[in-house]
Amino acid sequence: MTAKPAAAPRPPRTRARARARSASIAAFVVLAALVPTTASASGTQEVEAELPYVCALPSGQLPATVRVAAEFPARAEAGEAFTPSGVTTTVELPEEAVADLAGHGAAGVRAATRLEVGVAQNAATARATWRGDAEPVELPESGPLTLVARGDVPSVAGRGDGDLTFSAGSLAIDLVLEAADGTATDAATATATPDSGTRPGSPAVDCTLAEDAPGQGLLATVPVGTGTGAPSGSPSSPGPAGTSGAPDEGQPDGRGDRQRERQSERSPEVLENTPGTAPDRDDVPPCRYDEQHPPTDVSLNAYVTGYANVKKMKGAAYLPPSCVLIEQGVPVPGPPDPDYLIFDTVSYANFHYQERRQTPPFEATFLSFDFTPVKATMVLEQTDTMRIDSRMKMSMTDFSTTTDTYVRAPLVLHVLDLEVNGTPLDVGSECRTETSLMSEDPDPANFPGDHLVLYGRGELLIGQPATGYLLLSGGVLSGEATIPAFTGCGTDGEDLDRLLTASVSGPGNLVKQVQGQTCAIAAPVFPSPTNEGQCTEDLQPYEIPVAEH
Amino acid sequence: MKKSIRRSALVVCAAASALGLAAAPSSAAPSTVWTVSPSPAAFQATNVGNIVLTATIPMTCTTSNAAGTMASTTGNPGDVADITTMNFGASGSPCTSVLGNVTTTSVTPWDVVAVDYDAATGVTKGYVGNVKANVTAGACKFTVTGKASGTYTNSTGVLAINSTAGELAVSNPVNCGAIVTTATKPTFKGNYAVKVAGSSVIPTIVGSNP
Repeated sequence: MTAKPAAAPRPPRTRARARARSASIAAFVVLAALVPTTASASGTQEVEAELPYVCALPSGQLPATVRVAAEFPARAEAGEAFTPSGVTTTVELPEEAVADLAGHGAAGVRAATRLEVGVAQNAATARATWRGDAEPVELPESGPLTLVARGDVPSVAGRGDGDLTFSAGSLAIDLVLEAADGTATDAATATATPDSGTRPGSPAVDCTLAEDAPGQGLLATVPVGTGTGAPSGSPSSPGPAGTSGAPDEGQPDGRGDRQRERQSERSPEVLENTPGTAPDRDDVPPCRYDEQHPPTDVSLNAYVTGYANVKKMKGAAYLPPSCVLIEQGVPVPGPPDPDYLIFDTVSYANFHYQERRQTPPFEATFLSFDFTPVKATMVLEQTDTMRIDSRMKMSMTDFSTTTDTYVRAPLVLHVLDLEVNGTPLDVGSECRTETSLMSEDPDPANFPGDHLVLYGRGELLIGQPATGYLLLSGGVLSGEATIPAFTGCGTDGEDLDRLLTASVSGPGNLVKQVQGQTCAIAAPVFPSPTNEGQCTEDLQPYEIPVAEH
Repeated sequence: MKKSIRRSALVVCAAASALGLAAAPSSAAPSTVWTVSPSPAAFQATNVGNIVLTATIPMTCTTSNAAGTMASTTGNPGDVADITTMNFGASGSPCTSVLGNVTTTSVTPWDVVAVDYDAATGVTKGYVGNVKANVTAGACKFTVTGKASGTYTNSTGVLAINSTAGELAVSNPVNCGAIVTTATKPTFKGNYAVKVAGSSVIPTIVGSNP
């Protein structure tokens, strides 16, 4: 009972099904639902599965219906990362659950979902968490409560050939109960047992897949690589092999078979350490000023995390939350403009990891030349202070305001360890890019030299909340990097520069980083019912941001 | 009686609304007896629509609430209520600007002062006085003090604050550069639905001149 790939005849859409009330009807619906609802010409399959769950609520174990809709590629190549899109998790809690919530004085509820998704390929498995946020809804006076949560989910790559299956597992629903006046009720905590993964102050309702769920919660099947009954597109062919230094396990004549066999034991890779989830504070390096780095009255700190695509590797490296210490600039009047009031601010920043201006070490696993697994451990090292230029503009006609921010970061990529096909290669201690990662600078005359440029924009329409990136509150910064050639790689006469340069270096590598809310050391804002937290008690950034693709 | 001008939110256009508010005094003699119902009583107020604060640049608060006590009084102006809690923003919904998130810590009590009453419409004109709030955005800090003009409408229970440029002032700006200086004229605009605390009862204010 799998979702068929794109070449299957387009089945009728099944989205508008009546809600199933009984287990037997639910089971039938699941059978229908697992057929892809749309198979587009562009090679995608749209899946909607309706699954029976059992949720732990104060009044007991209650049945719930969960519908999961998402779009998957019809097929993928081995090592090709893809991201299920349009993921919507719809939870229908029974009337008894509504009574539980209403009994605690709630008139409405705001929910977030965490669906554990098992990803399997052959005998190998991995897990991902699909998170979603639901719009606030009022509790219905009668009948079930329907919560519709949407969110981005982590990418997945099958490491070898074979069907990649996605199956729904346990579901946690974080609830914030709201009184009639829109304020959060504190009775919410009575509804369920909080668990460590919930948002502060919100209870979680834990739900498990019903034992009779057909297909054990199977959501979709994505054929990966060759020989999987692939319906469309040409089978993948191994890329060019034989670059010096690459191990020769997979050579022509039987290479594919041996590789399939070998890779069948490897787990599919969920391309995030903790998918879609902010890591626990214990898992991120500290981010505080110290005796070597005493704060000033304009000192801020923040975490930044994200992805850097490595185009040649067709994959993304995950940069774990990294500490940045920032000296916030003082705004000065910008150039005169008849239509805008302009202020310019220059701030400076440094990564801060174990007293060095660098990120923590991070690992990335790619399939080099489409078939050779390469695991690299790297750090980004600053060669100079990062500069942050923010220009705030207020329109004199509609009073809309924007802030454009450019972060200029001279960063070399230092490779600490390298494993090719499971074999460690000694890269030595001086294996780095020759120069900083480079971007095209929008103002090269004033900003010469090699550096990465990341850009973010924040804006506020009058009367509306600010959106986008702002240095103080964070957000998404993005850019495109050229990775320079490598130098100093290899020991004992073995020159790995060419291997790394050939497989990694080059232009067009997208970089997307998410910065969290800053903590202002001289004006700290601690979390409280009336304030969004900015600082921990020991003046570290309160927010640990979550990487986005 | 004019409705509050909700969309004019900036210093630059605030002068015009100031004229609007200052004009059209009630034709009757000024009220000197202010009858608040119920009295004395605790009240709570929650924003209706977003609150817009400006200090050169606009800031938006999607959540704001107030609480305090109200009581009948005499005199003109008449202090009909004390605001003892005044929050801008909440956990999960901070006030925002293109400078970044803005944290406002009110130093209370603030007063609700009645000046003029229109018996035909049930609208009291006056101001929120004794305003004092410490504002931070990152390393930028400043204090706002003064008053903010507004109206209270008995039929709706809406306290519409629509301050005019010059009513509020900035003191002690630190690390705010050219954006916020002692010359900055902040404004405070937004509507609050007022209820008797713990109920859905809308309190009323009636001015008279016996």
